[in-house]
Amino acid sequence: MLFTIITVLALAAAVLGLAFHRFWTTRQEARSTILYVEIFKKFLAWFALRTIQMGRQASPAAWWKYVRSLSLWRRPLLERWLFICLYGSFLYLAASGFFFAVLIPRGLFGYPLMGHVMAGGLFAACLTVLVIFKGRDFVSVPKPVGLSLSLLDPRKMGITAARVKVAAFWLFVLAGFLLTLSALLPMLPLLRTPGQKFMFEFHRYSALLSLLGAMVFAALELFEAPRT
Amino acid sequence: MSGAGRISLGTLGGALAVLLLFSAVAPAQTAAPAGNDPKQAAWDGNRTIPAHLIPLRDENDELIVPTETNPLPYSARFTCGPCHDYATVAGGWHFGAMTAAKSGRPGEPWLWSDPKTGTILPLSYRKWPGSYDPPSLGLTAWDFTLLFGRHMPGGGPAEPSEDETLAHPEARWNVSGKAEVNCLACHNRSGRQDPSEWAKQVLRENMRWAATAAGGVGEVGGMASRLKETWDVADGPNLDDHEWAVVPSVKYRAADFDSKHRYFFDLDYQPSSDRCLACHSVSPVGEAQWNADADVHSAAGLKCADCHRNDLGHAMVRGYEGEAAETGNRSAASFTCRGCHLGESEDGERSVVPGRLGAPYPKHTGIPLVHFKRLSCTVCHSGPKPKEGFTRVRTSRANRLGVYGVATWSTDVPAVVEPVYKKDDNHKIGPHRLVWPAFWAKRSGPTLTPLLPEVVEAAAGDVFKPEERIAQALIALSQVMAEDEVPVVAAGKSVFAPNVDGGLDATERPGQDAGGPALWGIRKGPNVLPLVPDFDPAAADKDPAVETRFQEYLQALGTVAAAPGQPVIVVRKTLYRLVDGSLDMSEAPAGTPETGGPGWLAGGKVSPLASDFDLRTVAAKASTEHTLTEEQVGLVLGALAKTSAGSEFAYVSSGRVFELDKSGRLVSSSHAAAAPVTWPLAHDVRPAQQSLGWNGCTDCHSAASDFFFTKAKASGPLLTKDTGRLKAASFMGLGGLFQKFFGLSFIGRPAFKFVLAVCAAVVGSLLFLAGLLALGRLAGFLEKR
Repeated sequence: MLFTIITVLALAAAVLGLAFHRFWTTRQEARSTILYVEIFKKFLAWFALRTIQMGRQASPAAWWKYVRSLSLWRRPLLERWLFICLYGSFLYLAASGFFFAVLIPRGLFGYPLMGHVMAGGLFAACLTVLVIFKGRDFVSVPKPVGLSLSLLDPRKMGITAARVKVAAFWLFVLAGFLLTLSALLPMLPLLRTPGQKFMFEFHRYSALLSLLGAMVFAALELFEAPRT
Repeated sequence: MSGAGRISLGTLGGALAVLLLFSAVAPAQTAAPAGNDPKQAAWDGNRTIPAHLIPLRDENDELIVPTETNPLPYSARFTCGPCHDYATVAGGWHFGAMTAAKSGRPGEPWLWSDPKTGTILPLSYRKWPGSYDPPSLGLTAWDFTLLFGRHMPGGGPAEPSEDETLAHPEARWNVSGKAEVNCLACHNRSGRQDPSEWAKQVLRENMRWAATAAGGVGEVGGMASRLKETWDVADGPNLDDHEWAVVPSVKYRAADFDSKHRYFFDLDYQPSSDRCLACHSVSPVGEAQWNADADVHSAAGLKCADCHRNDLGHAMVRGYEGEAAETGNRSAASFTCRGCHLGESEDGERSVVPGRLGAPYPKHTGIPLVHFKRLSCTVCHSGPKPKEGFTRVRTSRANRLGVYGVATWSTDVPAVVEPVYKKDDNHKIGPHRLVWPAFWAKRSGPTLTPLLPEVVEAAAGDVFKPEERIAQALIALSQVMAEDEVPVVAAGKSVFAPNVDGGLDATERPGQDAGGPALWGIRKGPNVLPLVPDFDPAAADKDPAVETRFQEYLQALGTVAAAPGQPVIVVRKTLYRLVDGSLDMSEAPAGTPETGGPGWLAGGKVSPLASDFDLRTVAAKASTEHTLTEEQVGLVLGALAKTSAGSEFAYVSSGRVFELDKSGRLVSSSHAAAAPVTWPLAHDVRPAQQSLGWNGCTDCHSAASDFFFTKAKASGPLLTKDTGRLKAASFMGLGGLFQKFFGLSFIGRPAFKFVLAVCAAVVGSLLFLAGLLALGRLAGFLEKR
């Protein structure tokens, strides 16, 4: 139950945060006032409107058109398949894992579980290849920092969308590593029952972390892309 | 009365008043913790048990003086009752089935096995699923006690209420007395305690004497079963009969009494395991005694009663999860497997006292959590390991084990198999024992109501008696055989010889004759010679010894009870028979089979010694456990239909229901009443190294795993190909196909683990490097270089 509550809250916060970032960076009215209440009202109105618009536009054909428009299809062969496998396995893992964890008291079982295990293996392999060949693109170069109180000022931390995206990538990789580890260790004759229990929960929260990282990364990647 | 006497009485009265006043106050000072709960009143806190040198009292609450003439047997109610409240004890688990409000998890039903009528009927007063309530079938407490009293500890049905005895005057309680709760059955430490003696006394209807005899307190002779129903214990010995209808009597073991007529009971507070195992043994069929391992708890020195505890109320801790909530006995939670070994309640809360009796905490290294959620501990640790076709076991109560004597009491049927893994009401899979019911039934719409065997037997006439008829003829012939000769009949692929129980033993018929026509013969060493040799009766040089033997045979066959006619022997066309005690030769009547041999002459016709039906029936069932053929079932169903016009009857066996269709053909169908009866098993617990999973996941998760995929045909008394099937996975509520796939996935599991390990290592290393890089840049180390 705790996991369900945390999951719902974390995902809601992530969606609202990303939506607000989108609102703040793209809408003129966001900066038309300095009153937080007014900004919040405008954000809610915009969010509701966008939700309705997207709901009306959503259809299998529209989704398919959107998927076909992704830059993924224009990448080289191996790279294309790497991303297809990575995205595909991750989407299945997230869908099956969270659906059963949140909505089915028994948890994941049966054929979905077998699919989850197989997709997990594929995801781990793809993630490894991704980190080896694409990780270098996400190595940030922070300036050396000096010891001062300005370190605690968020406005002076240099938080940019690009840096958040990089952080989201490494968060995703870290969560993927933890997911792999928490799947592997219970299969080895190492952990006793308390260890198994811990790893079970650890796997779930790693999955939540992974999903949040992926959401932030994907949102920033997709939202920023048209402007670049 | 004199003045002195009045003073003495007054003094005595005063003393008595003071004593009563003191005794009313004293408990408040000395036994305050016990309160008024009779279940707690017996123990003063000392961990020893008192020497039980106590006066024996009979059922009239009279002191037993062993040297008196015709003393009555001791009564637990009046001997033990003064210190241990009898009514409280009598409400316990072993005695309270008839009156229990809650019966908890299903246990082993009483299985009424009657091979002759092909009946295996699960009975229980506890109304557990699959079991029939004895009163609903017309079984009285008396009937039940005679059927199963051999393994009952007294009390309950063996000690019925006055209402029950008055309602069934045909029962013989007034003659036999009631079998009170037999405290000694469990608590007697003496090696003289003899469950076999108890069984014998119960079958002799010596109910009130059974505990005395079985406990070794005294020697009991006589049989109440032979007494008239008007006899009463107050009538004393039967002076007219010292041979047959001898009244039961007790000869007490005088050496165990002291001069004050107090008897020394050598008692255990906690019964020894032997006492429990007298009625609760379970052993695989065919296993050698020396090779059988004890439960791992027993091997560690624990007694059954260490975990299966009870207070004076004798509400035993049965040890299953959920029992504490059901019974309100919270301490029961610490005597489940989980409670003792993990310190957890069934909800996984660490709310119970862990590690009692030194229970070790299990490592369970590498076992995924789902196993603990979906499986009971006993799945991996109890009973025999899964194997192809399940393991056939015999239980004390179902197969009458542990009753020793000249006769063989134990039986192979009913066929109980284990471990059948089945999902219980708590949605946990646990190992179960299983038996297929078999009974004759009256159909009323979809409902099948079992018929009592005696009802069926009465309707069936001779249909159930082929073996009996053949055996009677062979036993009669054996009277005139030489020491090295055994009369036999060869039919089908078997040769049948009579056994000491009045039945038939079958052996394989020698090669070239197998399947040939029936032959009455004499087994002499390895050879089977014809009983009636072929010769020319008219020949002058015939062997005179042959006719002498014929005369002996005919005289012997003449002793067969309920013979269908006069015994005769036909040789070619000559008929031999006894006329006025002498051998007479005459021409065989027309239509007499030319094969000749022994037979019966009735109505001017000669019929064979055993009918084709009899021979066909015994030949079909030879060397099998089946006791009925489809032909017999069809005949009996027809006979039952004649007893009650318009009623429908059926026979349940092997997981199917057999009925006659409109054309009189035997057809079968499935029915809930034919479903197997199961009950959970918990013992024997195997050592950890023999538990499932010790050798890895593939102990269960493989494409050919016996755990998931073993199957067996339903068993039953009926010889038929139309049987139900038992598939392991079907009882678990799991898809067999999925388990096949899942099992197959374990072939690639090592490679999968390797891939995951490599991935984790690579990604982890790169993450570490990236982290170091970021840290270095942040700190300015890398820029400086």
